[in-house]
Amino acid sequence: MTATVSQPPAGGRVLAGSVGVAVAAVVLWEIGSHLSFVIPPPLDTARALAADLTDALFLVNLRETMLAATAAFLLSAAIGGLIGLGLGLSRVARLLLSPIVTAMNGVPKIVLYPILLPVFHLGYGSKIVMGVLFGLFPVLINVMTGVQQIPSVYWRLARSVRAGRWQTLRHILLPAIRGPLLTGVRLAISLSLVGVVLSEFFATKYGLGRVVLRSYSAGDYPNMMGTILLLIAVSFVLSLLLWRMERRVR
Amino acid sequence: MTGISIHELGVAFSAKDGRVIAVDGVTQEVPERGFVSIVGPSGCGKSTLLSVIAGLYAPTSGHVEVGGRRVTGPDRAVGVMFQEDSTLPWKTVLENVRFPLQVAKVPKSEQLTRAQQAIDLVGLGGFERRHPAELSGGMRQRVALARTLAMRPSVMLMDEPFAALDQQTRLLLGAEVLRIWRETHQTVLFVTHDISEAILLSQQVWVMSYRPGRIIDVVDVDLPEDRDASVVATPAFNALQNRVWEVLQAESMRGFAQENAVPASGVPAS
Repeated sequence: MTATVSQPPAGGRVLAGSVGVAVAAVVLWEIGSHLSFVIPPPLDTARALAADLTDALFLVNLRETMLAATAAFLLSAAIGGLIGLGLGLSRVARLLLSPIVTAMNGVPKIVLYPILLPVFHLGYGSKIVMGVLFGLFPVLINVMTGVQQIPSVYWRLARSVRAGRWQTLRHILLPAIRGPLLTGVRLAISLSLVGVVLSEFFATKYGLGRVVLRSYSAGDYPNMMGTILLLIAVSFVLSLLLWRMERRVR
Repeated sequence: MTGISIHELGVAFSAKDGRVIAVDGVTQEVPERGFVSIVGPSGCGKSTLLSVIAGLYAPTSGHVEVGGRRVTGPDRAVGVMFQEDSTLPWKTVLENVRFPLQVAKVPKSEQLTRAQQAIDLVGLGGFERRHPAELSGGMRQRVALARTLAMRPSVMLMDEPFAALDQQTRLLLGAEVLRIWRETHQTVLFVTHDISEAILLSQQVWVMSYRPGRIIDVVDVDLPEDRDASVVATPAFNALQNRVWEVLQAESMRGFAQENAVPASGVPAS
């Protein structure tokens, strides 16, 4: 499509506004740091983060968290996508399984940690599973609803031209649900990271969650805040990228 | 030999208010290259009948033959056009029209030529790269028509394809269908609730009753073969319209009464 829609001349003002909000946030942060000893000043935090990023042990922790989060995200997307597809396509499966899905989605996932720990052990296993528990449901539920909302005439069309299973998947089903699928995937990216970092708070050797907790116990607040900031930045950038992709397909 | 013969066809299904007989004992024939319309009150089984002929729905009793072969499922030689907008919004006009050819694994160069021919035939030349969202409802139905024509079916089944459009667009597209039919010589079965559309387009009109859906009248349309929309003003057209309307009016009233029937006190339940 080559048609361009005329944009209101607000681009510059929006940018100025964003910068303004960012500056205000830093100023508030600076003020806050003088009110509570747990909040380090922005400058100290930036210094601590810069030092961390050249520290070998911190990089091991970073890598550990990112690997686990990536694995958790990929598994969430794959498992959530497949289960969502199955539930969306089969009314019987929906009737049988949606109570479990609703119940599991409603559970604060972290209460399952004591069950996961002995089963999946301390290392990657339990972290990844926790990440999957967090990331799975947005994909599953979005895909399931997306499939159910496909107009029935598309299925009749596919049947009338005798499209096979794969042809129907490729030409009708996947393009029809690409919007909800991307929404689910976008949510899964940040939520898998949440799940992984959260489980790192409890029992693990390496990982950014561990770094945050240890810095807190040691009273090293700039280091703690720097790590939190890094986590926010990673999740923000990934979500932003996917959000842009999502807007393009609509 | 691609006429349609319908033998003692019956379709029943269970609904909230009990068993519904949508089609009951229909035995009819559409001659090869004939153009037949079915009119009937809304809720009669005309769309169901068409779905059975298309192989999308299994009958409860009886059977249908298309070109002498018993219908057991969808057939690529039978094109179906739906009432709802069935254009795929993520595909361009060209991709939409190509879709059935792709599915049928027609060689790619042939896909493109046939799709282009169909697009030109329905007057959408120049819109190949547009997406359905950029087109009006009438143009989208043209895309659907082109997609059906691209398969070069010998039989076309059209289920109120223009019902959602305004009167002018409907007349215009009706005239297009007639022109295309004269060029392509397909056997057409056209479902509509619009009497004048039915008479304008077809050689024969079947009037269907409200449940149970039976064919209660068959009207031969003896208007000139090369007629256009101006025929609507002639006395002959009027006479036909009145005849169909008389039959249909009684049926519509009955259907209306039945749909709005409340089991009131004093009326014994059957």
